[in-house]
Amino acid sequence: MFQSVEEVQQRFRDARYIATRRISTVVYLAARMGRPVLIEGPAGVGKTELAKTLSEISSRPLIRMQCYEGLDEGKALYEWKYAKQLLYTQLLRDRIGELVANAPSLPDAVDKIAGQDDAFFSFRFLSPRPLLSAILADEPTVLLVDEIDKAEPEFEAFLLEVLSDFQVSVPELGTIRARHIPWVVLTSNNARELSDGLKRRCLHLFIDFPAPAEELAIIRLKVPEMSDKLAEAVVAAVGKIRAMDLRKPPSVSESLDWARSLVILNAKQLNAELVESTLTMLVKYEKDLERVKGALDKVLADLPPA
Amino acid sequence: MEERILEFIGDLRRAEVRISPSEALDALGATSEIGLEDRETFKAALASTLVKEARDAPTFERIFNLYFLDLEALGEGLQKALGPEDPKMQEMLEQLANEENLDLDDMTELLLRGQGSEMEMAIRSGSQNAGLERLMYFLQVGYFSRRISDQFDWSAMERDLEKIMQMLEAKGLDPGQLARIRNYMELRLEAFRRMIRQHVERELERRAWRQGEKLTREVLADKPLFALSPDEVAQMKTVVARLARKIKDALALRQRQEQRGRIDARRTIRKSLQYGGVPMEVFLRRRHREKPKLITICDVSDSVRNASRFMLQLVWSLQECFSRVQSYVFVSEIAEVSQAFATLPVERAIEWALKGAPVDFHCRSDFGYAFNRFVQTELDTLDRRTTVMILGDARNNYNDPQAWALRMIRERVRGIIWLNPEGQWGWGIGDSVMPLYAPHCNFIRECRTIAQLGEAVDSLVHQWWRRGR
Repeated sequence: MFQSVEEVQQRFRDARYIATRRISTVVYLAARMGRPVLIEGPAGVGKTELAKTLSEISSRPLIRMQCYEGLDEGKALYEWKYAKQLLYTQLLRDRIGELVANAPSLPDAVDKIAGQDDAFFSFRFLSPRPLLSAILADEPTVLLVDEIDKAEPEFEAFLLEVLSDFQVSVPELGTIRARHIPWVVLTSNNARELSDGLKRRCLHLFIDFPAPAEELAIIRLKVPEMSDKLAEAVVAAVGKIRAMDLRKPPSVSESLDWARSLVILNAKQLNAELVESTLTMLVKYEKDLERVKGALDKVLADLPPA
Repeated sequence: MEERILEFIGDLRRAEVRISPSEALDALGATSEIGLEDRETFKAALASTLVKEARDAPTFERIFNLYFLDLEALGEGLQKALGPEDPKMQEMLEQLANEENLDLDDMTELLLRGQGSEMEMAIRSGSQNAGLERLMYFLQVGYFSRRISDQFDWSAMERDLEKIMQMLEAKGLDPGQLARIRNYMELRLEAFRRMIRQHVERELERRAWRQGEKLTREVLADKPLFALSPDEVAQMKTVVARLARKIKDALALRQRQEQRGRIDARRTIRKSLQYGGVPMEVFLRRRHREKPKLITICDVSDSVRNASRFMLQLVWSLQECFSRVQSYVFVSEIAEVSQAFATLPVERAIEWALKGAPVDFHCRSDFGYAFNRFVQTELDTLDRRTTVMILGDARNNYNDPQAWALRMIRERVRGIIWLNPEGQWGWGIGDSVMPLYAPHCNFIRECRTIAQLGEAVDSLVHQWWRRGR
């Protein structure tokens, strides 16, 4: 558990993640208040990475549930291994025969089999999916529900129920209550509006593209081989490209990729030729590409000199 | 502080940020975890518990700044004025206070070593006694600042300061140091006075903003559309966008809800192989529901232009909820503008429909002629899945209404919806031919204001398209 917001910030930093004051505050509050965190923001600003880092610095194992359209309770919570159950009953047919051999009547035989219920309905035949694993875990965990907006609203309602009391009922086994309340991080790319209930329940964190100073810090941290001057130029150029009206503006992960590729190419400074040949690291759509290429001299104008 | 936060939440609610009681409780819980020391952290705690939509963030930012003084900025100014020697002096004064066991006034204590937040709390309680809630006009700022500062015993403070100075002199400090200390304390006093005035000014701004906001929303929503000024039109755009979002979510939900259907034999049998031929899991064939088609016909003559603008914006935003949206505009000649809708961003599409479409904008509107032309050219494209939505005041300038054309359309389509931006009392009076058209429409609403437009579209979504019409 964290003692202060500063501690959170420092520990994220030690784990090579630059957390703003705002991010650290929300993480601190979530840990203190036992609330799920809902993170929204454009793709590639480090939403998923935040959860991973959180698991790292708190040395809690990370359980990840990727959402997609058509995800249902069965795939999220648990599944019965019907096939295995069926196989066992077939293999054990003789034993079952023995068991009921000396039963005087049919009802007696049924009772005898019913007495063995536990053998058939046990954890042996249950395969836990992410949600149940988080609930069953022996130690506290970090549960990452990734891209919740991809799942259907019904699933969201179900998730809300699980998140509010951390217990699930498996009809065959009874109610299972979590031993440790996991820290829950949900991420969303805002493909659709999430339900009010879920938003109410969560602490909300909006991560936007970082300010130039933060982005510079991130690049310095993740690509230490790059010279400071060049890093500054990279940040300025990315900032200008982001300001254009693109279909998908470059995210942090893309500007990192770009920085890495510049290091590999042994670049000393940004020039038109170099930028044009490496632009695909940064901009992923044909139309965007053309647009940036058209305005390349503007992007390169008054960058900090390398 | 709790009171202040609750008041803050009240104002957020008034600005249409939806905050539930449990969220308000969360905010209180979070701020008590965080404390008040750091403004940014405090703000982050409030934002994460109260603001759940990105679109509410600017509102939050604004009201937060009105409510919670930027003490740090204020402190920085003070720091600059004091120069680099300040901490030393602070230490010395504190030492003095501890050693000599001075009997000082509470306010002097606060001035000597109080944090900004404590000073603000003192001002708040002072302003309550001074009746700040009666503040209404800018001219009253000076008066109330004075009233609040009268709450504090300035003479006691002056006395205390004299006492401290004498004591320091007795300790044998040189005149230069003494002057610096006096200067320091006077600056702090000055800063305190400044804080009082700033507090009153913020309060005034907050009130004015609250009033203005309320007025804008209530008045604009109920103001006749034709009377909106260009500025107001711009403001209402966001309202319409919000409306569209709401409808879109409702429609999307409805389309997914359908999960019944006939058994999908192929998938069920394939899955059953896993279980030795026992159909353990049954798959259903999802019934594919066809999205409805929509045709909008908008009158774009001057008299109803604003109404058409909002209507077109709504239609543009809802395009993806329909399998096909065709839009027509007319004054008397009718023209299709669907192309612009599909390719241009909303603003430009609407501008084009209202100004650049190939119709003569200067003649008098003629509904009869427009419907006649529409029937002649487009009748074949109509089918039972299509809904026709007409926006116009049915003021036909005494031309032939040609209601038969509307009837022919009616026979081909799912239904006709007519939204009329004129008050119901005017239908049938003068050159209005609404009563002649009404029998051929399935759904007629008066849409004189944004509020009415919202209601009409809402009931359309909930009744008209409920079963995939």
